[in-house]
Amino acid sequence: MTAVSMPALASSRPRPPALAASVGWHLLFLLAVGLPIPLLAADSYWTDVVTMTYLFAGLSCAWNIIGGLGGQFSLGHGVFFAVGAYTTARLYLVAGLSPWLSLPLAAALGVAIALLVSWPTFRLRGPFFAIATMAVNEVGLVLANFMEPLTGGPQGLLIPFRAGFANMIFAERWQSAVLMFGYMSCAVIATLLVRRARLGHYLIAVHANEDAAEAAGVNVLRTKLAGMAISAALTAVGGSLFVMYIRVIDPPNLFSLPEVGVKFALIALIGGIGTVVGPVLGAFVIIPLESWLRGALGDLTPGGHVIVLGIVLILAARFFKQGVYGKAQQLRRSWAARGSAP
Amino acid sequence: MNTFLNVLLSGLLLGGIYALVSLGLNLIFGVVRIVNFAQGEFIMVAMYATYACFFFFGMSPYVAVFIIAPGMFLFGIIVQRLLLQPLRDEPLMQVFTTFGLLILMQNVVLAITRGEGKSVAVAASRTVIDLGIMKANAGRVIIFIVTAAIAGALLAFLRYSHAGKVIRAVIQDRDAARLMGINVELTYLLVFGLGAALAGVAGSLLAPIYTLQPQIGGNFILAAFAVVVLGGMGSVAGAYIGGLAVGIVESFAGYYVDPALKQAIWFLIFIAVLVVRPSGLFGRKGTEELGLRQH
Amino acid sequence: MTMTRRTVLAAAAMAAGLGMAQAQEPIKIGAINPYSGPLAQYGDEATRGFELGVEAINAAGGIGGRKLVIVRGDAGNPQQGIAAVEKLVSQDKVDLFMGTYISAVANAASDAAARHGKIYFEAMALASDLTERGLPNFIRGGPNATHFAERSVQAMVEFIAPKLNKKPSELKVWIEHEDTIYGTSIAQVQKRLLEAAGAKVVGVGSHNFRAIDLNDAILRASNAQPDIWVGTGYVPDNTLLLRTMRDQGFKPPVAMLLGTGDSADFREALGDFMDGVFVVGYPHADLSEAFAPGAAAFVQTYKAKYNRDPVAPQSLSAFTEMMILRDLLTAAGGTDMQKVRAAAAATDKPLKTYTNGYGVKFDEKMQNQRAIPNMVQWQAGKTVTVFPTDAAMAGTTLVNIPRAK
Repeated sequence: MTAVSMPALASSRPRPPALAASVGWHLLFLLAVGLPIPLLAADSYWTDVVTMTYLFAGLSCAWNIIGGLGGQFSLGHGVFFAVGAYTTARLYLVAGLSPWLSLPLAAALGVAIALLVSWPTFRLRGPFFAIATMAVNEVGLVLANFMEPLTGGPQGLLIPFRAGFANMIFAERWQSAVLMFGYMSCAVIATLLVRRARLGHYLIAVHANEDAAEAAGVNVLRTKLAGMAISAALTAVGGSLFVMYIRVIDPPNLFSLPEVGVKFALIALIGGIGTVVGPVLGAFVIIPLESWLRGALGDLTPGGHVIVLGIVLILAARFFKQGVYGKAQQLRRSWAARGSAP
Repeated sequence: MNTFLNVLLSGLLLGGIYALVSLGLNLIFGVVRIVNFAQGEFIMVAMYATYACFFFFGMSPYVAVFIIAPGMFLFGIIVQRLLLQPLRDEPLMQVFTTFGLLILMQNVVLAITRGEGKSVAVAASRTVIDLGIMKANAGRVIIFIVTAAIAGALLAFLRYSHAGKVIRAVIQDRDAARLMGINVELTYLLVFGLGAALAGVAGSLLAPIYTLQPQIGGNFILAAFAVVVLGGMGSVAGAYIGGLAVGIVESFAGYYVDPALKQAIWFLIFIAVLVVRPSGLFGRKGTEELGLRQH
Repeated sequence: MTMTRRTVLAAAAMAAGLGMAQAQEPIKIGAINPYSGPLAQYGDEATRGFELGVEAINAAGGIGGRKLVIVRGDAGNPQQGIAAVEKLVSQDKVDLFMGTYISAVANAASDAAARHGKIYFEAMALASDLTERGLPNFIRGGPNATHFAERSVQAMVEFIAPKLNKKPSELKVWIEHEDTIYGTSIAQVQKRLLEAAGAKVVGVGSHNFRAIDLNDAILRASNAQPDIWVGTGYVPDNTLLLRTMRDQGFKPPVAMLLGTGDSADFREALGDFMDGVFVVGYPHADLSEAFAPGAAAFVQTYKAKYNRDPVAPQSLSAFTEMMILRDLLTAAGGTDMQKVRAAAAATDKPLKTYTNGYGVKFDEKMQNQRAIPNMVQWQAGKTVTVFPTDAAMAGTTLVNIPRAK
């Protein structure tokens, strides 16, 4: 058994509140997180930042299902992200298929690829799994460059600006923000449902101790594959939304480890890995901070703002060991303790 | 036939580079159980330090290495003591920290150099040695020889010295080692320093054969991760032979199949090997199941 | 009371500000480039050129009495490109944009700028499809990938083949390129044009610019025994290719690089092995005054400000593009998108008008047809412009052709 107390485990120890109450709390949380849309709608810069924040919050939630709940530290989610992006962009460009209709296809393809690459890599544990998934990401990059008819090769794919609901291309940035907010909400609710379902308990058990879970009758491989499938499906959908927002994709950007594969994990880590809302909190810390630093210090000296970001990351790891969510819980507990004292 | 040997030999020399880069990573990975994402940046910083010694004092990299390796040892100890040790119960946050270090180091060097390519143009970087079958760069031949020597020395150190036995005890079972009165934290500190020192050696030896850029560390490290997993966690022989194997596979795939696909090919082989033998070629069976966390 | 006074004062200040704004409010130009990450060096160098251009224009009184100001926007990938444009529009209130050392960023950023109706004047990005999008705000004053490929093939066929005593149809060429859009698109055009000229393309090799070993690429090329080996890439891979060439003793009669290869870091890396290597790239400053009026003066200004020679020729071209933009804005009487576009369509300046030999004539897709790269040759540690021949200084000769060392 691990000596590490994961927030996921810590919060699962007390009897979970009733479904309705829990859903209610999370809806309230989402409502609060959605507030920036009307507040910032007039400022297209911050609306863009918030849009990316929602998207990466959703993607990080998706990662969190297998990476946080299941404890499988994947760094290869860029592959599912890219599969979604390419599927939607290709079908839109070749067949004029509305991205709304290609979302299920993208998700299904994401699941198929996830099962294909996870079956072998799930034989590995911990850092070995992480490194193997990093390798999967690199294979994906090379193949995307190579499979020109599907992916446009190095040239990438370019989607012309034709605003319209059916095209999932919006003239106003706040409309995209609403879409990404919806995506994030779905990802949060999906996490919530998985957590409460049998699968969630199995995932947490596998996370805590695979051998013990196996001994207790949990089919470890099937549990991990199920968690990965849900995670990959959501990630592929996120990739689809991303491509219709950015409208230009090429392999180096889709498979970038620091900007995609590792970022999903970092956001979840800083927010609170394995918790339902942690990834959302993490995204709300990292993405605006990054954008602000880039804007404020980007012209100072080459790489200047990234230096600051690096320092912030290191300090965050040092002082927010359990993530923002864990820190908040800790503060709340100590506050409650002080409040109850005479 | 001649071409075949040529490809084999250049694969071996490339393998020497992979092995050199992997040794330090594997030590840290195997003993301290930290996936040090910043190991490539350690090497990059050592390369730039080598450049500075060359540029300001006209020092040969093969002399500078005797300053840089101890310097990196110290640097590694500081990083482990100040940043990683306080997080020993939070292995994921350690990963997070090394990632923060990665982008920090990369961009500090970028800010200082403005990203201009730097070269350590000593004689070894342009001297060509005729090996009969093919001509080879002296710098690469030196790396091959030195790496073999380092791997041998490390192997002997781990097998025969007292400190080596302590390290092996920690690799095998850190809790039992602790019970036996071994100072595990101190072992971690020294091993992390040793891993960083090996990055220092790598940086000094690699500096003459590449054009230095702040991002160059990342180019080595992905392969090194694969080598470490392939060779087996904490296994010096594994890192060495794994490095050579990856070099040879890459060389053959690049020449006979397609340079554009060579990375995909050896990554696929890598994944395939893991499926067959998850603990790596030389790893103790079962090590792959330890996971990121302490047990 | 104080509140009221402050309000009054503020109102007065605002009124004064508005009055002055009409005459003197500066024209703000957002410069979208990578200022961090692997390509920061070139983003920064290009922006130095923009800034020197702005200083020169402001010293001469600005545009219609309005000074120019550069505001940098850092972007290394498309999503950052969008964010940079939105920030510069909503916070810094820029009037138009210039860019961009990364094509994918240019793509997303110009698209975002179009939504705000702001001109995106492209000086650097090479991807040919940027002007195929029909964006109303996108004007490319600089060359595209096709121009680079065309110039390299033209140099091979017209200039190098005679030096090798060969007819173009007897040329054997190996094309090597890095595998992102930049290298790939140039290699494709090179292959097409070479084959159209009757030359034989004996092989096309692609590699990753982050590769740490390129022995396979050189071995393959060496076995094909080309007369000309041409490589398109970035600094790390192009230097590694040449190092490997030297190690293997591969001596193609002519070695040519494209895109990078003409900066000091190549001399530092390879020393006299560079002698004889051709590089097709942005025009260098060692141009005859008749070809490029003011190029020498530019180098003096650069040295005075940064205390060194230009890091790369991108700064001279960026400076030139700023002069082209000045003329377009002057003709348009401001930064209005439609007017600038109309002014661009109407502008017709012959080659050799500007600081690096460029002229201006936009096609209907707003691609400048008179921004054409040059070719230099490394001679005794220096780059010397050799092609086109009228750009070269009087008395220029070639060295080390065919390659002996």
